[in-house]
Amino acid sequence: MKSCRADIGTGGRSDRSFGLRLLDLAESVRAGLFPARFSVWTPYLYLLPATLITGILAIGLAEMAETSLHVLNRATFRPDPAYTLANYAAVLSKPVYLRIMLKTGFAALLVTGFTLLLAFPYAYFLVRTPHARLRRFLLVALFLPFLLGQVIRAYGWLIVLGKQGLLNAALAAIGLGPVSLIYTYGGVVLGLVQYMLPFAVLLLAPALTAIPHEVELASHGLGATPWRTFRHIVLPLARPGLVAAGVVVFTLTVTDFAMPEIMGGGANDFIANAIYDAFFQLSDAGMGAALGIVLTLFASLIVALAFLLVGVATLGHGAQQDAGAGR
Amino acid sequence: MRRGRGLERLILAVVAFDLLFLALPTLVIVVASFTAGRIVAFPPEGFSLRWYQAILEKRAFVDAFLRSAYVATVCTLISLPAGTLAAIALARWRLRHALAWQLYLLLPFTIPLVVSGLGMILLFGRLGMLGMLWPVGLALTVINLPFMIWGVAACVNRLDPDLEAAAANLGAPPLHAFVTVTLPAVMPGIVTGGLLMFILAFNEFIVSLMLVDARTVTLPVLMYNSIRSTITPDLAALSVVYILIAAVTVWLLDRLVGLETFLRAR
Amino acid sequence: MRRTAPYLRLPRRRFLSGAAAVVAAPYVLRLPRATAQEKPAEIIVRAWGGVWEEALKTGVSDPFTEMTGIPVRHDLTEDNEIRPKIWAAVDQGRVPPIHVNWDTTTNATKSALRGVTEDLGDLPNLEGLLPLAKPAGLEGWPLVNVYSYAYVLAYSEKAFPEGAPESWNAMLDPAFRKRVAMYDDGIGLFAPAQVAGGGRFEDIPDNMEPCWEFFRKLKANEPLLGEDPDFTNWFQNDEIDLACTIISNAREAKQNGIAVSWTVPKEGATLDTDALWIPKGLPENELYWAKQYVNFALSAEAQQAWCNALGLPPVRPGLEPPADLVGDIAYPASEADLDRFLRIPTPVLVEHESSWFERVNEIMQG
Repeated sequence: MKSCRADIGTGGRSDRSFGLRLLDLAESVRAGLFPARFSVWTPYLYLLPATLITGILAIGLAEMAETSLHVLNRATFRPDPAYTLANYAAVLSKPVYLRIMLKTGFAALLVTGFTLLLAFPYAYFLVRTPHARLRRFLLVALFLPFLLGQVIRAYGWLIVLGKQGLLNAALAAIGLGPVSLIYTYGGVVLGLVQYMLPFAVLLLAPALTAIPHEVELASHGLGATPWRTFRHIVLPLARPGLVAAGVVVFTLTVTDFAMPEIMGGGANDFIANAIYDAFFQLSDAGMGAALGIVLTLFASLIVALAFLLVGVATLGHGAQQDAGAGR
Repeated sequence: MRRGRGLERLILAVVAFDLLFLALPTLVIVVASFTAGRIVAFPPEGFSLRWYQAILEKRAFVDAFLRSAYVATVCTLISLPAGTLAAIALARWRLRHALAWQLYLLLPFTIPLVVSGLGMILLFGRLGMLGMLWPVGLALTVINLPFMIWGVAACVNRLDPDLEAAAANLGAPPLHAFVTVTLPAVMPGIVTGGLLMFILAFNEFIVSLMLVDARTVTLPVLMYNSIRSTITPDLAALSVVYILIAAVTVWLLDRLVGLETFLRAR
Repeated sequence: MRRTAPYLRLPRRRFLSGAAAVVAAPYVLRLPRATAQEKPAEIIVRAWGGVWEEALKTGVSDPFTEMTGIPVRHDLTEDNEIRPKIWAAVDQGRVPPIHVNWDTTTNATKSALRGVTEDLGDLPNLEGLLPLAKPAGLEGWPLVNVYSYAYVLAYSEKAFPEGAPESWNAMLDPAFRKRVAMYDDGIGLFAPAQVAGGGRFEDIPDNMEPCWEFFRKLKANEPLLGEDPDFTNWFQNDEIDLACTIISNAREAKQNGIAVSWTVPKEGATLDTDALWIPKGLPENELYWAKQYVNFALSAEAQQAWCNALGLPPVRPGLEPPADLVGDIAYPASEADLDRFLRIPTPVLVEHESSWFERVNEIMQG
């Protein structure tokens, strides 16, 4: 295992003197612009670019909130200037939105459940296998799809599940089928599970690595069956990883757009699709924005609950000095 | 002990299933792309490279590919300094309200992509930034920045603060210490984050769908528009281009950082 | 609405028998302005996919490119998606994303009312078109209708050996559970549903309860919801027996050798039109060539090839109908024929259609 201090990026040593002179120049510029007495501000200077960039999102969200307070004037197709909560009332009172939310939430539960069931053994095997080459193979098999976007993967599934696709060709060869999985709720769930699997494994694996193998061996040595060791040692210790993976998969699914759009065939919309349709199909930006704010609140609530459960470090940017408190 | 072997078998069976499940769409796309027929069907009709030729000859595809590369480059160039500095700041100093900073910088993960995209349509529209390509790159930075921060933070956490202190004690001015001590130490994280940012932007779909139009359309959006009407083998050939790019990225990650880094306990 | 959805493409359809090969009859560019305008690098036309895009390509775009040397690119962005983008571009004073929008007349009218469309009144080829070409309830020519079409009841002949179904109520027959199809927003079915549900056509839009009752019963029959190419695909794969769709999609399946036919049931069928329009904000030379494109699309040559490929009656009178559609009940041959159809006035559609879509969505997403 290579360390994080791997010596890369230090090439070009040959013209070191030139580099150093350049650095001296930069240093003097810095000293002029940002003298040492300002150094208490250094951390905030470091945070400034990321803060500004993320600020774009915050302002966008504020724009959405403002937009959500105007109803659409159907004569001009422009927002009515008056402020109102009518869009929120409509979101909460129209049964169709409630149904879409329930369908989305149920799909997210299914996807989270299946993904964790499939991801846990993979992550466990990945961490525990003594064969370096096998581990490498498993990692490559995991990363390759991980780095492919949803459009590509959905396209692949359309080919697999389509009427003239691989699955039906295979079924026909053994005298079965055809089955129609494409453009169904089940098809969307299937596509999402496959999409989420690498996320879940990559979130679970570090948590499993953190469990010392000795603990398992000790449990084994004390006469516990592998099942018991698994249930009473591995599973509880892996909990932070499971929660992190579960939360990420759940929120990513609840807010997903591409899979229901491409694999759902029109009748299996998620909330994100309803938001998009309100904006584009109905030209009703206010209604779309109101739905969007509701979805954002819901997703944030899930993440906040997760933070309470496992601490920021597991999900966040992992300032490890604070991690102890979270675990 | 027989029950124990049962568990082992179960794990192996799930792993085998996962491997197939993960690989299936990719494999199927690769096979479909070499068909000699006009349709995607199984088994494919013959073998040919005609669809690869077809995508090279279609200007719209080549243009969209170049736009995606441009957008991904813009996104990576903005993310590298912004994400690296933020990760170092979060991990190295005990900030006041550190939790608030963390939560704030995680906004891109908690706000659904469709909402982020619509918010940026409204904002960029107001600023007159729609219809151009570089704001799309900026938008993709906005939504994926936590990946960059996460990649670098994983390394900063292992950075020995004494090392920097030592450099300072030896009289190294701040910028020298940063360039000669801090930066090399977090370089693997920067590489990881940068590669992730590039490939995520190259693949990004939903926010791009909202921000681009016919003059600025990127490859994933163009593919989506095509999928909606006909599933032709030229899209399979295009997808193989993506698969190759992903493969090169995996190779680079492995060479430069080591894939096993991702298994390390955090 | 009428967006296009994924389908696995079937073998190449046979050549359209009726559509004569596009004879590049010498077409004289009668320029509205005398000055020669610099040619743009390309003309971008928003289009629907499948048979629709192919028909536009062979009928209009390719001959236009041949004639002018300007490449034409078809943008398959969904019609609804492009609308807010064009509106925003015009509001913000930007160059719009496309040169020409091929759109439903209802959507085009919404854009015209918004004031984002260029006037086409100076196009020479407007002369001699059917009155249908003129937009209803609008001043001048902010858009031009290019052909009409009926939403017919298409059926597989195998499922109806006795002949065509007589009523739209056939869609509610439990025998066809999961084997009926409609547009995912219900477009085209509102008027027949109203009549078949026991209501009066004249009550649209004030009392449409019979229409919604029809959709609720249809929902119980678990219909497939799709977009243009889906219907072709579903008939070809033997997934449906009945569909409310545009003739072009059913005809495409028929020309691929599938035993599909269509009818106008006793309750009638909706007749509607599609339009072309040009967004405001184009540079002068691009606007000029966009207008030339629309002008060419209205020429006899282009109308003949384009509309015959679609199997739809053009707005230019006196053209040869496709041989397979001569005398077809769903292919109005004269203006008098148009009156046999249910025609909801465009202003009513503009005001109410999107709320009807919402209503159908509410019923169907259950």
